[in-house]
Amino acid sequence: MEKLLRWSRSKSPWIYHLNTGSCNGCDIELMALLGPKYDLERFGIKLTGTPKHADIVVVTGPVTTKSKDRMLRILSQIPEPKVVVSLGSCPMSCNVFKGSYCVEGPLDRWTHVDVSIGGCPPKPEAMMEGILQAVKILKEKGGEDKRG
Amino acid sequence: MAKIPFLKYAIKHIFMPAETEKRHHKLVEAPESYRGKIKFDENSCIGCGMCIRVCAPEAITKKVEKLDGEEKVTMNFDLGSCTFCKMCEDFCPKKSIKLTKDYSLITRDKSNLYERGSFIKKLPVKVEKKAPEKVIEEKK
Repeated sequence: MEKLLRWSRSKSPWIYHLNTGSCNGCDIELMALLGPKYDLERFGIKLTGTPKHADIVVVTGPVTTKSKDRMLRILSQIPEPKVVVSLGSCPMSCNVFKGSYCVEGPLDRWTHVDVSIGGCPPKPEAMMEGILQAVKILKEKGGEDKRG
Repeated sequence: MAKIPFLKYAIKHIFMPAETEKRHHKLVEAPESYRGKIKFDENSCIGCGMCIRVCAPEAITKKVEKLDGEEKVTMNFDLGSCTFCKMCEDFCPKKSIKLTKDYSLITRDKSNLYERGSFIKKLPVKVEKKAPEKVIEEKK
């Protein structure tokens, strides 16, 4: 049963896209990834609208003060096992917003980041590599199941 | 045929292959003059610090270690906070910074995303300046 769950989870990981004050560059590239040219959905990956259904959460943008609390709330709503992917340089190091009064540090100050994809914005091929790596991590992680 | 627009294209597109790129499993080559991973040539760098001045996200740091009669300068390029704007390459007087086509910056631990290089800079030999002899004209 455990094996079946793990296998099925890795075959259809649903991603949730979380924007914490991004400039929309990475968001547009992620949308292009789900479009016909780079078609991420052939791997069973689907963009979901609610964090409660998600397996992989893709975070873009430096964590702004306003979005920090909401981000933490959304991350706590995602059932285990979850994989956090930081997309672009913003969640990695705040990029050009470093030291701003309304930016609350890089993402790994608040949560555990599994895969970081660098670039500003990253090329869709690199994004795809990163998300496929996240799927691999999801398969490894699938031990504890704390759904519900 | 003429009254229904795009019908010709609709029929044509049925027989066309899918738009999706087949080479998903490997990274394709980036186009010409793509700004990717930074490559730093430590042998031609002079440590002028111009790249640090023009870098908007403060991704470049310079560390100076004082040795005996010379300095060990380490330039660290943090690719995690780079915006790949190519300003450092444009402003480098010795052309020691290059932005390559490599764009695969995927890592599980972000602390190993950097480009680093160190070189030894010789300090100019200090010549002890002799105090100029004061010619004091004695007033008589």
